[in-house]
Amino acid sequence: MADRVILTIGTKKGVFVAEAAKPRRSFALRGPFGPGVPVYATLIDTRGTPHLYASSCNPFFGMKVLRSTDMGKSFKETKSAPAFPKDDGRALANIWSLEPGGGKKELLCGVEPASLFKSRDGGDSWEMVNGINNHEHARKWNPGNGGLCMHTIIRDGNRVHLGISTGGHYLSEDGGDTFTASNKGVGAGFAPDPYPEFGQCVHKIVRHDDAPGRMYMQNHGGWAEWTGPGGPRPDIGVLRSDDYGHTWRSIAKGLPSDFGFPILVHPNDPDTVYVMPLEPSTRTCPGGVPAVWRSENGGDSWSRLTRGLPKKESYFTVLRDAMDIDELKTPALYFGTTTGQLWIGREGGEKWECLFDALPPIHNVKVAVV
Amino acid sequence: MDSAPSITFHVVGPLREYCAGATELSISACTVRAALENLEQSQSALYRNLCDETGKVRKHLNVFVNADNMRDLNGVDTTLTSGDVVTILPAVSGG
Repeated sequence: MADRVILTIGTKKGVFVAEAAKPRRSFALRGPFGPGVPVYATLIDTRGTPHLYASSCNPFFGMKVLRSTDMGKSFKETKSAPAFPKDDGRALANIWSLEPGGGKKELLCGVEPASLFKSRDGGDSWEMVNGINNHEHARKWNPGNGGLCMHTIIRDGNRVHLGISTGGHYLSEDGGDTFTASNKGVGAGFAPDPYPEFGQCVHKIVRHDDAPGRMYMQNHGGWAEWTGPGGPRPDIGVLRSDDYGHTWRSIAKGLPSDFGFPILVHPNDPDTVYVMPLEPSTRTCPGGVPAVWRSENGGDSWSRLTRGLPKKESYFTVLRDAMDIDELKTPALYFGTTTGQLWIGREGGEKWECLFDALPPIHNVKVAVV
Repeated sequence: MDSAPSITFHVVGPLREYCAGATELSISACTVRAALENLEQSQSALYRNLCDETGKVRKHLNVFVNADNMRDLNGVDTTLTSGDVVTILPAVSGG
């Protein structure tokens, strides 16, 4: 019986694990594991006996994958990390995403430079997914400020969605053998063509099992005032698709900014979606006042959730993978900040409370009920 | 018969777990490149910490031959002589 809430918190200085009984009154913190080394991706794999995974992105000695089989009491390196073939010419620079694959022990891993790897043995060995890694566009993608990263991997039956910054959204409808750029309606603000075939700076994509075909995207917005070639392109930052990501439309109207990094969908309601708008130029909370915004009608309108959050002088950033939502009946949201605070938003984000206020800068927060 | 000079490869603390705790390894190699190729074969886990998939020394590591940084010598083609000590150290950084 699932009775514990587990958080993995990937930080600039290693991964932490927080655990609470299901009422979530208080969380006990363990770690850091892989101390001193940045962690950009974590995974709580709840298939069978839960396993925890974390990328350990050592700028000196290269990339590792850490695995815990004791619910985050200890972590060990897997036997190998993803690696390009020697004659490929690319070298692994970062590990940005870890997701469960189709098979029982299968894992998928998105890396920088933007590529996808698959493990069939729980992370001990890895193989390239050539349909995307050797895609005709792959050598034409450009890095954004965070590097050229594959940060989003979503499996939906035989469909696989990938989010690449800056590459855009790629869709496979044959189980990951082949991929097509699928960015109709996804704008780019940093190129003369406002709607290119590919090359968008997608920040995060989510979907929900109960709304087949529905997807939400946080794209790189903040281009309403652009006066250069191609003209202004307002509201390209928050998008929705109703056809499995083939076409997208803006749902940003009503938000204070269409720039942000994470986007979440409510576990029990595909019409409820959350974003955290940021100032486009600084990537910090608008006016120094943090707020999570929620739509309960699929993006038609938005409301501001701030109860318990600071009212002033807060200039942190919440990065693309640093916000998550648990799957309890009345779920709680969690977000980590670049200033090392971990916040919980109880009752679906209605009441916020700081769980930990002095962790290292937070890159990644994942939650599961186990 | 291997005529390459015998050199000592000094293993920094964080990497000793990748070579069974050894603090030093004895290697026969004529150049730094040959020493790294030797490690690729004989100590593959250690090697992956030192060089990326393309075979380049990871960019935030410095390779010293005795007291000299190899970049002030002849890079990975720096010639080694018997008794040399090769040390690979992380670059100084902060934050």
